Amino acid sequence: MAMLRTIKPKNARSKRALEAREPQIVEKEKTAIFVRGEKTSEPVRIAMKDLHAFKLPHSINFSKKNPIHPFDVDPSRGVQSLEFFSNKNDASLFVVGMHSKKRPNGLTWVRCFNGQVLDMIEIGLEKAVPMSEFKTTKMTPGHRFLMCFQSDLFSTHPSYILLKSMLLDFYNGHEIDQIPLEGLEAVMTITAGPLANDATSTTLEPTNGQTDLVVDTTKENLPLVHLRVYNTKVSAVAGSKTPTVALTEMGPRLDFRIRRIKFPDEEMMAQALRRAKMEKKNIEKGLGKKKKNIELDAMGDLIGKIHLGKQELKSLQSRKMKGLKEPKTNVRRKREDGAEGEEVAGGGEGRGKAKRAKKAAAAEDVDVNMSD
Amino acid sequence: MDVSADLAFHAAKFNVASNGQNPDEFISVDTGILTAFDEAPTEEEEYGHDLESYLLNRSKIATTQLFASLLALPTTSSEMGPIAHLPPSTTRLPREKPLPKPKPETRWEKFARMKGISHSKKEKNVWDDDRQMFVPRWGRDGQNKDTEEAWIRVIKPGKEDEDPILAARNERKDRVAKNKRSQSRNEAEATAKLAIGSASVTAANAAKAAAQTGSQVSQAAKKQLRDARKQELERNLLVSKGATASMGKFDEKVEGEPKAKGVKRKFAPTAPTTHAGEKDSQLQILNSLGTAATKRAKIARPKEGIEGDVNARKAVRFNERMERKTGGAGGGRGGARGGRGGGRGGSSSRGSRGGRGGKK
Repeated sequence: MAMLRTIKPKNARSKRALEAREPQIVEKEKTAIFVRGEKTSEPVRIAMKDLHAFKLPHSINFSKKNPIHPFDVDPSRGVQSLEFFSNKNDASLFVVGMHSKKRPNGLTWVRCFNGQVLDMIEIGLEKAVPMSEFKTTKMTPGHRFLMCFQSDLFSTHPSYILLKSMLLDFYNGHEIDQIPLEGLEAVMTITAGPLANDATSTTLEPTNGQTDLVVDTTKENLPLVHLRVYNTKVSAVAGSKTPTVALTEMGPRLDFRIRRIKFPDEEMMAQALRRAKMEKKNIEKGLGKKKKNIELDAMGDLIGKIHLGKQELKSLQSRKMKGLKEPKTNVRRKREDGAEGEEVAGGGEGRGKAKRAKKAAAAEDVDVNMSD
Repeated sequence: MDVSADLAFHAAKFNVASNGQNPDEFISVDTGILTAFDEAPTEEEEYGHDLESYLLNRSKIATTQLFASLLALPTTSSEMGPIAHLPPSTTRLPREKPLPKPKPETRWEKFARMKGISHSKKEKNVWDDDRQMFVPRWGRDGQNKDTEEAWIRVIKPGKEDEDPILAARNERKDRVAKNKRSQSRNEAEATAKLAIGSASVTAANAAKAAAQTGSQVSQAAKKQLRDARKQELERNLLVSKGATASMGKFDEKVEGEPKAKGVKRKFAPTAPTTHAGEKDSQLQILNSLGTAATKRAKIARPKEGIEGDVNARKAVRFNERMERKTGGAGGGRGGARGGRGGGRGGSSSRGSRGGRGGKK
């Protein structure tokens, strides 16, 4: 792995900057880098330009060409460079645009965790209409847009689930706790076409023991995905809870197919999905899961209440005394009753009975001998 | 993974929907990330007929749903119009970096925790009565240099030859140096602990970890790590040597084999030298038994909230308990308990004297 040298901060400013890059409980928004491969095409350039504009200000555009092939078996030709960029720029998302005869108009979406590539998905553009072709008002840079994922495939098909996760992470993944409603100006909808009858999906075996498995879905005849962005105009309807929404297309218009996928390493993904426990002060505030039997008094002390179960005085073991024992005859009868019931199971009681019988027989023998 | 069964199931499930039922049922919304998921399958007929209008219509339905649930959220007004408060998201997305590791405790922090000493932040500036202004504790014009810079000093008898300015300066510098020493010791201990912790399984792993962290591990830390490893190895060797029928008595010696060091037993003299000596030693044992318990109790419960002669915490809790007993019975809780509630253990369990502040 291309390692960056470890830097020792020489002044307070650089120390603060380095500290900001350390793992945080509440993370800042992920930064994306748009990288061009050795060769790109017009649709790739259109898509990258507009996708980059949507991600601003958390986006970096690399204007020079880079000899990167993310899916190459040799990590030094692809993954290593991306990991280097990730560490250098403190970014964890990538879009690599490439064009070749074999795989035309390709966009590879890459996601990193802890400076290492987590998963990748390559899409092949079939149609790309730039934002500039649509004569509408554009979105204010830096504003959030709404997202809609439409099709059952986004919850059933592994490739589409990954695509959904990737796109969500890119644009809406960063959680915020409040938003001005008037700032919601646009909606991005991602719709998958209907699954053809001859579509095969049996080749998808992402978790077959191999973690670095790359799956090529080109031959699976998977349906197209349509990415559209619309301007929204909302007006409330008197007497109804649902507002009326008017949509006008803002662009870009992208139609693409999923091509190659590198599914995430399970262990790495598990690490990445870990969440921090709620802090004490947040629990006191009543955030998160509702805590029963915990309260704050006027002094700010956390007081817990413990509910004890009902006291079973009958089953309480008091002092054992000979006089309090059950009479022996009763005990034997009870045990024998129990033994009969448990014969099938062949448990301890049954064995006890057999033993007793043997003992009795032995005693009889003795009697006989004596009489002789 | 064969997903065809899954897909078939979904197709069957949504077939009903596609035949002219309400499509809203299949839309779920995650307002935390401003996203709607429409799980109805795409209809082939409309999709093939006029793609753009189909996409537009479908998007409209989902967006309306999303807006409806966004507008239903609690809001506060502002200059920019209403601000919606979003709930936490239900969709799980990977983090960018792993969760931060807890910082290793310094010696002082460990001690403070054991003793129950709570941290209070010192202000950087303190009031100086002589100068009638706030002055920094340390640094330029710092208060810690007052003795050095005083224009008149008391010279203690027997110290007439000493330079008082230099002595005060040295004392201050020593304090700084001592702090620096303990700081670096804490750092070294933390790194050694990390390295050992991450590779406690085998010594080989520990060496690897030290090599990986490379430049960050200081010389002292390396030595500490080496020592710890050596100790562990020696202990293991001794244990394995003793694991024979003869407890290792007839085993061949290995070159440079460590000597087993046991605890040497010490006996008190059988006949006491003085009568008073025996009495004293016995008393000492008895005293230590008595005091140990109280000392332990002191450490476990630091006395917070005591102001003057009044324990405010106790007073507040007592007050609350009394209020609950008298006024609270008519409230929701007392009522819920029904007829039995009043006298039963409710008050004693609620009082929960054991509930020390902040400790669950």
